[in-house]
Amino acid sequence: MTIEEINKEKIDTKKLVTEAVKLSKEANDKYNAFVTIIDKPKVGKKKGTLNGIPYSAKDLFSTKGILTTGSSNALKDYIPFYNATVIERLEKAGAVLVSKSACDEFGLGGTGTTCHTGVVRNPYDIKRQAGGSSAGSAVAVAAGIVPFALGTDTGDSVRKPAAFCGVVGFKPTYGVISRYGVLPFASSLDHVGVFTNSVRDAAMVVDAIKGPDGKDMTALPKMDDFTPSIDGDVTGFRLFYIKELCDINSYENPSKELRESIEKFNEVINKCKELGMYVIEESISKDLLNAIQPTYQVISCAEATSNLSMYTGIIYGPRGTGANINEMVKDYRTHAFSPLIKRRLVIGSYVLQKENQERYFLNACRVRRMIVDKFNELFNQYDGFLTMASGAGAPLLDEASEVLSEEAVLENHLAIGNFGGYPSITIPSGYVNNLPIGINITGKVLDDAKVLNIANKLEEKIGFKGGLK
Amino acid sequence: MFSKEDIIKYADKLLIGLSDEEANTIYDEFSLIDKNIDQINNIPSLSEVEPQFMPYDLYVATLRDDEAEESVDVDLILSNVKDKEGREVRVPKVVE
Repeated sequence: MTIEEINKEKIDTKKLVTEAVKLSKEANDKYNAFVTIIDKPKVGKKKGTLNGIPYSAKDLFSTKGILTTGSSNALKDYIPFYNATVIERLEKAGAVLVSKSACDEFGLGGTGTTCHTGVVRNPYDIKRQAGGSSAGSAVAVAAGIVPFALGTDTGDSVRKPAAFCGVVGFKPTYGVISRYGVLPFASSLDHVGVFTNSVRDAAMVVDAIKGPDGKDMTALPKMDDFTPSIDGDVTGFRLFYIKELCDINSYENPSKELRESIEKFNEVINKCKELGMYVIEESISKDLLNAIQPTYQVISCAEATSNLSMYTGIIYGPRGTGANINEMVKDYRTHAFSPLIKRRLVIGSYVLQKENQERYFLNACRVRRMIVDKFNELFNQYDGFLTMASGAGAPLLDEASEVLSEEAVLENHLAIGNFGGYPSITIPSGYVNNLPIGINITGKVLDDAKVLNIANKLEEKIGFKGGLK
Repeated sequence: MFSKEDIIKYADKLLIGLSDEEANTIYDEFSLIDKNIDQINNIPSLSEVEPQFMPYDLYVATLRDDEAEESVDVDLILSNVKDKEGREVRVPKVVE
């Protein structure tokens, strides 16, 4: 159910909160989506735009007095003494936190299979991944437990699980939402994002949490609300898609799923045209597209190495043992970090070494500029970039591999939205192999309202508002 | 270009211990990254491009008003510490 419907039908939100807690407990047996379920949620007296609406927050958001683990054994007993800014703002808007959702450890992963509480399962097929890293938040909305959930997105960690779980996933322009109190992964790429059942709900939630924050130097100044303009006329808008990603002829041996996904994408293009928009094919050099994944891996691992150095086990987290501080920290990190995190951190350390910086880290940052320059150039000619969120539905759990591999460019290209800090939204667009798939719309920096406007009109046209179920 | 011993050395710099299996996985993974990085390094005129470290350049440095803010209570800050004494964190002797 959408927030819009709850408000319109004047549903008793006290019952809704009680129901959400009950459903969370039932769902955890099936999907393993939550680290913490709050038995008696704090219902504030404040009446805001999200009054009485229950929600779930990824376990990277600091919550005062409530366990915040980052889905890692390194913080398995950590209880913050302060709230993240977004948690404060949601409280002021009247929303009620009912659970902390599981994610890939510290957000470093794309499968939802590396949480310290175990694997998160997809509500459409429990043998499949929910996607990551914001796996539990996507499941919380897809399974109808809460109308919205908070996630974070460093490469595609909101927009990909949204596609795999058949819900809306939106990350606004970098800096629109404060990240104060959010456990960091890669600071130049990290965004806060939201999962909802409709584009309008995504706009409403972001309107409630966006805005400047003296505690986050990357937070942008005040801007107008996005919700009022999402019903605007899109006639004449110009969208582009990339031939090398979305044209079946660009693939030598496309799978049946990819073939069907591209057919669905072409149907979406036709719907855009029926709405009066122009959709034009653009081409980008394969060299640049192939460079997206390694660029992301190098930059994100390097930044993670810096950010995760704060975990020592001395002032929070379980203490390691040893005769001196170095031995204690090493014992803690060796046992508390999962093999995946260790791999990422070692790679980050390697690419940052003085002798390697030029070849790895700085060259990755140069490619980042080339990609961002190319997209900025395209955004000067177009209102938005239309693309497929993935080339198929959610993969099977036993296909989950966090070892970096030569995956298709298509499966990693949403990181473009993080390189340039662009507003980017995934909405459900149909089924392939009985699994939900999504399309993604990305716009230029600060064009959040336009991206939401296009997505809202397209959502109406596609007809999956309120979730796929 | 690099060996398994290098990987263990870099992990050790981060105060992280690796099992044999973990070191082998990183070694395999890094071979792949190295191959992919070649795709980056072969892009023409790369050296002429200024590296980009943030998504965009919209930041305006401002100073907040010079108003005193309340400090966080020390007991709160220390609330997650496993071993403390009064206002201090207890650790093994640092100077030996």
